[in-house]
Amino acid sequence: MISSDVIRGYNDTFILYMLLDGESYGYEIAKNIRKLSDEKYIMKETTLYSAFTRLEKNGYICSFYKDETQGKRRTYYRITPEGLAYYHEKCAEWLITQEVVNKFIKEL
Amino acid sequence: MDTIIGYLNNMFAALPKTSQIEGVKQDLLASMEEKYRELKEEGKTENEAVGIVISEFGNIDELMEELDIAVEGEEDNLPVLAPEDTWDYMVAKKKAGFMIGIGVMLCLIGPALLILLDVLAETGFLQGILSEDAAGILGVVALLILVALAVGLFIFSGMMLENYKYLHKGFNLPHHLRSEIQQRSSAYASTYTLSLVMGVCLCVLSPVPVIAGSLINNDSSGYGVVLLLSLIAVAVFLFIYYGTIKESFSFLLKEGEYTREK
Repeated sequence: MISSDVIRGYNDTFILYMLLDGESYGYEIAKNIRKLSDEKYIMKETTLYSAFTRLEKNGYICSFYKDETQGKRRTYYRITPEGLAYYHEKCAEWLITQEVVNKFIKEL
Repeated sequence: MDTIIGYLNNMFAALPKTSQIEGVKQDLLASMEEKYRELKEEGKTENEAVGIVISEFGNIDELMEELDIAVEGEEDNLPVLAPEDTWDYMVAKKKAGFMIGIGVMLCLIGPALLILLDVLAETGFLQGILSEDAAGILGVVALLILVALAVGLFIFSGMMLENYKYLHKGFNLPHHLRSEIQQRSSAYASTYTLSLVMGVCLCVLSPVPVIAGSLINNDSSGYGVVLLLSLIAVAVFLFIYYGTIKESFSFLLKEGEYTREK
């Protein structure tokens, strides 16, 4: 299990990545993150929804309702151009972070 | 699934009910429901599925921070109450209320007993058992013993609450505890009202025996006074005991007279 402290700064990036291929909704995003991380990272519900709130407030994603077959309404999210720009920024940041951190990591 | 809904309701109980928060809550519920359904389809038992869903819920504080909800009493350096401390405090407070109530009751029963012995001796009921003087002395002794007992109870209850003195310097109540106390508090409201009504009725009715007694004869009015004191003693006990329990709720929730000064 990865400590949530380490990964905190990249939760938003994960979610934005999941939205690159098109709109999606909460549970699907969470499930895909989990799958993609080979079950090594499970995003908590509150982490997921506070990220949605934050991303939407910053204009990186927008939400809309879609009716499901069973008549239930589901909140979907879509990435905005600003969100995409932010995503690329975070990717660049990670490359540098990785480079720096790696300098301090000794292979055992 | 009911467990999950209950859990979520509990988590959101202390939060303001704005449309934004309701929306997030509905989304969370939908998400948890879907996870639960999938786990069940994978062959997990009810308990396992509920356990996994709840363990992956996270921390409501994280969400509140993002939603800009000011957490009440979120002041630094104040101790955060643990559930055990909270319930211990409430139990201690209840016991102390009971003891103080009994103590005050004893203080009122004392004079009632003194008068009773006096009237009994005067009317000759104690003839052959006690002389009038002896009855008077016995009454005073009984009164003093009861008062001594009462003082003992007061001191003991005071010492019991001494352990919780630190709470008066301020504390932070985690909101899951807060919502639970709020639930208990509202469940208690009707008991409290009933005790108040009964106490007030007893007080209002307490002069009736005296009036009735004085209509019969002088001696009977003596018994009337004894009854008056006894009725008031019971009423005072009700006020103190149930009032103290009520006070412990208000204190923990910082309501009424305990509202935090801003």
